[in-house]
Amino acid sequence: MNPPSISRRAFLQGSALAVTASAASRAGAAGLPEAPLQQSPLTQPPLSPANGRPYQPVVTLNGWTLPWRMKNGVKEFHLVAEPVVREIAPGMKANLWGYNGQSPGPTIEVVEGDRVRIFVTNKLPEATSVHWHGQRLPNGMDGVAGLTQPGIPPGQTFVYEFTARRAGTFMYHPHADEMVQMAMGMMGFWVTHPRDPKFMRVDRDFVFLMNAYDIEPGAAVPKVNTMLDFNLWTWNSRAFPGIDPLVVRQNDRVRIRIGNLTMTNHPIHLHGHEFNVTGTDGGWVPPAARWPEVAADIAVGQMRAIEFDATEEGDWALHCHKAHHTMNAMGHGVPTMIGVDQSAVAGKIARLIPDYMAMGDKGGAMGDMEMPLPENTLPMMGGRGPYGAIEMGGMFSTVKVRRNLARDDYRDPGWYRAPAGSVAREWRGEAPAAHAAPGGHHEHP
Amino acid sequence: MIPLVSRPSRASALAACALLAGCAQLSPDGGFGPLREIVAQRTGAAPAWHRTPEEAAGNQARVAQLLPAGGRLATADDAVQIALINNPDLQAAFAELGVAEADLVQAGRLPNPGFSFARTHSGGDVKVERSLTLGLMQLIAMPAASRIEARRFDQVRLQLATRVLATAAQTRQAYYRALASQQGLAYQEQVEQAAEAAHELAAKMAERGNFSRLDAAREQLFYAETQTRLRRARREAQQDKESLARLLGMAPAFTLPERLPELPAKIDDAADVERQAIAQRLDIQAARSELEGLRLSLGLTRATRLVNVLDLGALRTSESGKAPETGYQVDIEIPLFDWGQARVAKAEAIYMQGANRLAAVALDARAQARLAWRERQDAYELARRYRDDIVPLRHRMSEENLLRYNGMLISVFDLLADAREQAATVNAAIEAGRDFWIADAALQLALGGPAAAENRQGTQP
Ligand SMILES: [Cu+2]
Repeated sequence: MNPPSISRRAFLQGSALAVTASAASRAGAAGLPEAPLQQSPLTQPPLSPANGRPYQPVVTLNGWTLPWRMKNGVKEFHLVAEPVVREIAPGMKANLWGYNGQSPGPTIEVVEGDRVRIFVTNKLPEATSVHWHGQRLPNGMDGVAGLTQPGIPPGQTFVYEFTARRAGTFMYHPHADEMVQMAMGMMGFWVTHPRDPKFMRVDRDFVFLMNAYDIEPGAAVPKVNTMLDFNLWTWNSRAFPGIDPLVVRQNDRVRIRIGNLTMTNHPIHLHGHEFNVTGTDGGWVPPAARWPEVAADIAVGQMRAIEFDATEEGDWALHCHKAHHTMNAMGHGVPTMIGVDQSAVAGKIARLIPDYMAMGDKGGAMGDMEMPLPENTLPMMGGRGPYGAIEMGGMFSTVKVRRNLARDDYRDPGWYRAPAGSVAREWRGEAPAAHAAPGGHHEHP
Repeated sequence: MIPLVSRPSRASALAACALLAGCAQLSPDGGFGPLREIVAQRTGAAPAWHRTPEEAAGNQARVAQLLPAGGRLATADDAVQIALINNPDLQAAFAELGVAEADLVQAGRLPNPGFSFARTHSGGDVKVERSLTLGLMQLIAMPAASRIEARRFDQVRLQLATRVLATAAQTRQAYYRALASQQGLAYQEQVEQAAEAAHELAAKMAERGNFSRLDAAREQLFYAETQTRLRRARREAQQDKESLARLLGMAPAFTLPERLPELPAKIDDAADVERQAIAQRLDIQAARSELEGLRLSLGLTRATRLVNVLDLGALRTSESGKAPETGYQVDIEIPLFDWGQARVAKAEAIYMQGANRLAAVALDARAQARLAWRERQDAYELARRYRDDIVPLRHRMSEENLLRYNGMLISVFDLLADAREQAATVNAAIEAGRDFWIADAALQLALGGPAAAENRQGTQP
């Protein structure tokens, strides 16, 4: 999990010199802060603040935090909006739009009261803008193209500047041709830490955005005009088995901040623990108003921070409870084959289609079946656990609770080794008397 | 009958008669040799005319060698060869050659001299007159008649050769038609199997409750439609095979290869087809020979002004409902009142008419050659497009669809529908290939020449 981020200052300056004639532009380009580039799709370790006010950094699931520079007491960031190639999961890459090499863009972390200056360079083929979702800021910094500012034309750099007034969980995304730009993956996380690092302090603080894409099997660019029938349900533009586990030390206080930029709600369900919803993008929930849950529904455009004490060791599933959202690309028009014996026609079909194989007559599970798929297409369900195929895709991951982890150790500890006798097992005792199921006619001839 | 009285002239007439008769003998092959030459040169296959039981038996052996009973008719060339020796219509037509040759020989022979015996009574006298008679007209007209009959014989031969070439082309086309419809039938059978599988599966699903009656009925309807299409394809294949068998002069008790021959790797992209047609087409040769006859008639008329030889074209009469009759007429007149100017003018006009007719035939031939050439080029492009692009693309789509089926992205019904579509594309490709070979045979006929035959032989498997 080492961040292979590269400076592209040289590149930016070089291109500015080559492209821009005016000396003023050159000076402006030279004055821009560095815009680091991230090439890995894996979870990067938290970025501890080297300067400015102290805070407890977050970990972006399958993502990273954007470094900044201090200039005259102002935190300066540089976002570059540009086309990127994002690995959705091993075996599939998507041509998306994002920031600084990845979609979603890097997480921006600041502290309540920080003066923040964000340079946004547009390397997209059309105008863009950045809306700082949930922030209190001057109206002209709200990033709504046409309403509060002109769009940032291709090739130009705009600067946003405001004070992070309220601690909490936020996001950023374009508000210019936003249907297309968000369908293409333009979004990022924003955390404003409380001025007092001890306020609601947790040991591990994970963040991710939920997003969805409609990418035709065998293609790489999302269909931007899809309204609801997406086929890739992702966290930070990753689908299981491409989503990293959330690694947690036993008894750590854990916060998971989740934002929803898809077009539907997602009931996010955690196994093995109950949690409290402690924050929304509107602010922190007063302790008296919190209630315990094991699934929190996160509506479109909302953010939720959930917190729990990771008391129970193990590999605990964390997933959207809409079953179709824990599947990768699948045919929604495929008829149900359950209970239909295909053996008689399978031979006939195979004469026409030599590699044909009958499927689905016993249900949807594909188990260990591995068949060739269209290129750049994820299987409907994938990923293997210690006991076999996990038969999940999409919005699925695990919270891996382990004792004896180091404080900032986020490395995958491997599969949980359950103590002997603590795993569900085959009953080897006396078999119960068999009863015919009422109306059951699914027995196979 | 004009009585001949002078002995010396009688002797010379007999000598001339013997001489002329010597140039026009019935040939041993009835004049078939040159015809066979022409056809063999142009098609690569030699026609045979069986006039004796031995010849017929020999040809049957040849047919059996090319096509053992129930055997495989391997190439279009074999089919053409069989038709040229076995087609009964051709055999009947060859008989015309015999008739024409007999006419030619007849024209070159003097009528048999006849004896007349007259006994007249005049009062008490009895006068007996014996004379040897010969047809004077025939004798005088004999050189011209022989020449004309020789040319007529040539023309009959050219017409027959044209007919043989047409039969060869028809046979070739019928062969490709029969082959293509048989190949198409095989694909139609596959389509039917796919529809049957889909129908069976849909019925089972409807029975289990996985499918609505509507979906099941849709698959059933499709299956029923496919069955009717299959039946139609089967009938067409039978019809096409019968047509071929008829041209071959036999029952359709033979098999055809499973697929059409490969397209040639390339065909000439530019050729002097018009020149080839002019040089090789038999109809042009016939028109040219007719014109030559008219030229000679004109010359004769100019020279003598007494002998009026109206050749083939001039005497082309036609009564409604009957085939046009051609022939010649020789008149000899005694120039008492008419010194022949009008006759010369008429002969000149007839000659010009013949010249224009030749020009018209040549114009037609050029147009046909150009058109046939263009059509073959187009058919080739189309067939190649199917072979090189469309069929492979369809195949790739099917592969991709199978991958999608593997990923549960599409259903088995989509897969079967795709199989049907693929079969339809392959069918269209087969038809395009067939059309190329048919156009190729049409071009050979339009050029009437060996160039096309060589081209074909170079590419036939
Ligand atoms: Cu969901």
